[in-house]
Amino acid sequence: MDSIKIRVCDFSKTPGSRYRDEGKKAHSGQEFREDILEPNFKLAISSNQKVHVDLDGTIGYGTSWLEEVFGGIARVYGKQQVLSLLDFKSEEEDYLIDDIKQYIEDAEKQ
Amino acid sequence: MKRRLVSKQKRRIKNFNGQGKSKELRQEEKLISNYTKITAPKHFSFVEKPEETIKFINKLERLYLNNSSVFVNLKDITYLDYSAVTILVSVMFSFKTRNIKFNGNFPQNVDLAKLLINSDFFKYLNKPIGHKLEYALGKENQIFTRANKEVNSELGYMVMAEASTTIWGEKRTCKGLQRTLLELMQNTNNHADINKKGEKHWWLSVNHDKPNKKVSFIFIDYGVGIFESLKHKPNDNKWFGWFEKIKNRLIHGDNSEIFKLLLEGQMHLTVTGQHFRGKGLPGIREVLSRNQISSLRVISNNVFADVDNNNYIKLNEEFSGTFVSWELNEKNINIKWIA
Repeated sequence: MDSIKIRVCDFSKTPGSRYRDEGKKAHSGQEFREDILEPNFKLAISSNQKVHVDLDGTIGYGTSWLEEVFGGIARVYGKQQVLSLLDFKSEEEDYLIDDIKQYIEDAEKQ
Repeated sequence: MKRRLVSKQKRRIKNFNGQGKSKELRQEEKLISNYTKITAPKHFSFVEKPEETIKFINKLERLYLNNSSVFVNLKDITYLDYSAVTILVSVMFSFKTRNIKFNGNFPQNVDLAKLLINSDFFKYLNKPIGHKLEYALGKENQIFTRANKEVNSELGYMVMAEASTTIWGEKRTCKGLQRTLLELMQNTNNHADINKKGEKHWWLSVNHDKPNKKVSFIFIDYGVGIFESLKHKPNDNKWFGWFEKIKNRLIHGDNSEIFKLLLEGQMHLTVTGQHFRGKGLPGIREVLSRNQISSLRVISNNVFADVDNNNYIKLNEEFSGTFVSWELNEKNINIKWIA
């Protein structure tokens, strides 16, 4: 299956807060999810592709950003579809992938 | 005639009171006559003397709430560290944003006076500062203080570039540093005020120690503090009723014991049924255990935690807010700079 590739560092090298209203220089998870991830996710569904998210190349992540992006998309599309269509690269912080998968698992419970 | 007599008497009393005092002292006494004078702790360090420092902060807070002008006597201090400087600077700004007069004198110890001068404490004493979202003061690569109410993820970029250059002689990426900054900013923005997001300023002080190749960080907010924030969770919050859920795990039941469970992620698991997954303060402890930062210390409400040494102490004084300090040094994990 082909993949649509997204690099978070193309969005920002300094991803920050959960919500847009939490800072003017916050590069929020809500902004990334709504403006980048979800349009590509819809495209992936319609074109039978996966979405490959590359997490490397930033200066680091806060957990609220990660939860809002990946937990957030699971709250919209359901965890099964999200887990089956998203895959990840995180060579610089390998622990992030487990955390993200857990945010997706826990998303519907929130 | 009567008025002249009264003023003559007043002058006599004034002259009598001024006898044997230097011109400087008389000037200082004249200056502070309209202020409430508060003397700073001699050994002024939040980290080393938390209870004395909290007493000092609480006195200042009472005066702040009463709109009383304050003169802080720093003359006799014999020790001053960055944690104390950050408190002085942040308290001074709090008074001045409310247009309450705030003043102080120089420490007699020249090195300590220099530390305060470099922080820009004296520069802003007699300057209006207005109501801003963000303040920046001090000198980059020395002592640098930032205040904001929002999450500013770009700040980490600049702080990281400078800190890593001090430590390794070149820019390096320190992902644990950014995680720590973001969790703290997000916490202040979301939880420092019970009723509204983004109400309280956070203060970040970055202090470069070039000879020893380390950079120390102090983060402080004057919000409600961790335990008060937990107490006020609404019914629909996953933390509501947390104490009932963990009380069987407690031996003494005081906040220092609860705080240890919280930082270790045990409280999250017990109360919410989920792993903390890097979130909040347990996430910062995890950053420490991955050796991405060092020397983590937290003070909130009546607890002092020296996390490196697994030492959690119940304090006899209550600090309304959250104080976190940590270090970045040569031994901490880092990777090449993101281009």
